[in-house]
Amino acid sequence: MNKTKTILIVDDDGDFVESLSVYLESHGFRVLVADDGDEGLKLARMEDPDLVIMDIVMNERTEGFFTIREMRRDSRLRDVPIFVLSSLYSDGGSFRIQPEAGWLAHDEFMPKPPDVAELIRKIDEHLGTREASK
Amino acid sequence: MNEAPTVEPIVVIDDDYAMRFSCRKILLKAGYIVEDFEDGASGLEAIAALKPSLVLVDLKMPGMSGMEVIARLHEIDSRIICIVITGYATIDTAVEAMKSGAYDFLPKPFSPDELRIIVKRGLERRRLAMLAHRHELERELFRRRFVTFVSHQLQSPLVAVHQYLDVLKHLGDAPGAAAKREEWLERCLRRTEELQTLIRDWLTLSRIERDFLSLHRVPLDVCEIVRHVIQGVELLASGDEIRMEARLPEDPCIVTGDRECVTVLLENLVTNAIKYNRPGGSVTVSVERLNSELAIAVEDTGCGIPEESQPFLFEEFFRVKQDGARKTSGNGLGLAISKRIVSEMGGTIGVRSQPGAGATFTVLLPEYHQREATGTYEQDEDHSDR
Ligand SMILES: Nc1ncnc2c1ncn2[C@@H]1O[C@H](COP(=O)(O)OP(=O)(O)O)[C@@H](O)[C@H]1O
Ligand SMILES: [Mg+2]
Repeated sequence: MNKTKTILIVDDDGDFVESLSVYLESHGFRVLVADDGDEGLKLARMEDPDLVIMDIVMNERTEGFFTIREMRRDSRLRDVPIFVLSSLYSDGGSFRIQPEAGWLAHDEFMPKPPDVAELIRKIDEHLGTREASK
Repeated sequence: MNEAPTVEPIVVIDDDYAMRFSCRKILLKAGYIVEDFEDGASGLEAIAALKPSLVLVDLKMPGMSGMEVIARLHEIDSRIICIVITGYATIDTAVEAMKSGAYDFLPKPFSPDELRIIVKRGLERRRLAMLAHRHELERELFRRRFVTFVSHQLQSPLVAVHQYLDVLKHLGDAPGAAAKREEWLERCLRRTEELQTLIRDWLTLSRIERDFLSLHRVPLDVCEIVRHVIQGVELLASGDEIRMEARLPEDPCIVTGDRECVTVLLENLVTNAIKYNRPGGSVTVSVERLNSELAIAVEDTGCGIPEESQPFLFEEFFRVKQDGARKTSGNGLGLAISKRIVSEMGGTIGVRSQPGAGATFTVLLPEYHQREATGTYEQDEDHSDR
């Protein structure tokens, strides 16, 4: 493979971030971590990650939504794949709520906790696609 | 303080070239992005594309008037701050302009400082308005999706534990995994404890909702419960070298309520005062008589609460955003529980805070007066000081 790909995780649960980053690193990715939306936006602008993994419910409840919106407004970040990982939509049964289309402009949605092998597969898929279209 | 002027675009519309030139120079020097236009029509056209944070507009211009510009401006985006530039002769019109939505006006001639200050103030106002707007949106979402949020909160610790175990399993004997194992198992234990606390608090909350309290109402001495609670948090306080002080009247202060609930209420306020304090700070709990009420105040010397967060403090799960370095653990239910206990008892709870200089939570409860002999209120078996 060519140059190491960088993944930015934006999530306020330190434990979730810890295990996820160790797992991603074990698959050869470089991992950056931000624990809230503002920090995530700042890091994204500074570091140009290849992919972003975004939580929704952070400090201010639905911060992830707002962060994604900001990223989509930034010409440099507009095309970076964003994976939303949240337990917000994974509570099953009658409480299942579909993310409103358009507002949540993510590329992939996965419930929390994700199937980690599946997550890696999806990441490879997206980063491969990005490579090919360049 | 941390208000480094970020790149905020500002538009100046004035037919006077010298005026545009000097505004531009002053604002560029202050770190803003500035575009200027000599008439309303071209200014408005650019505004739609530029989305500036703030617009300075001369009232008296040939062609489209300043007033018209303001009206059109707010059709484009009502959050753009508009400041009117005007000669002395048109102050009346300036006032008129403010009535129709301009934020402020700047009489000619003005000094560079006057311009800078009014622009800075305008932008600060915009920042606050946008923040409030965002809080409003989040709050609305929260209300509509309450059940979803509750289950989300309950799931978070489970998710963290699951993922630790899952990754450990996947890593197997990979180098580095063994080193992590010990630490991660420890974290898993912490998180399951957190989940237990969360479930317990959630149950407390819903119990209070179902009128549970009114069944257990007995006369209680608040002062005695305060002493008891302070004793209970000794270890927690000394860990952060926080000085605890109680200012209590000599004689008992009686309220009616459930002992356990009043204890939970005071414990919540006192542990918060310790948790959100600074090392070496202090916590003062005082009880005072005000007419027919008792005022219980818990005062601390901690980080305080930002003004924009204060309206939401007593809502379920609300926590003030903390900067990365020092995070205090908690689930955001303590104050929601406290508020319900207080309202069940016919009282009120409120907060006053100077961000950075501490907070004071005050509970007002109706004082219980008994005509016959005192001493019938429930005594705490294990208290020895008195
Ligand atoms: N004494 C205090 N000083 C500063 N902030 C406080 C204080 N008490 C409460 N807060 C803020 O209010 C939030 C909600 O408090 P609470 O409901 O007790 O939840 P928790 O302590 O579990 O976060 C806290 O997260 C904190 O941000
Ligand atoms: Mg608390």
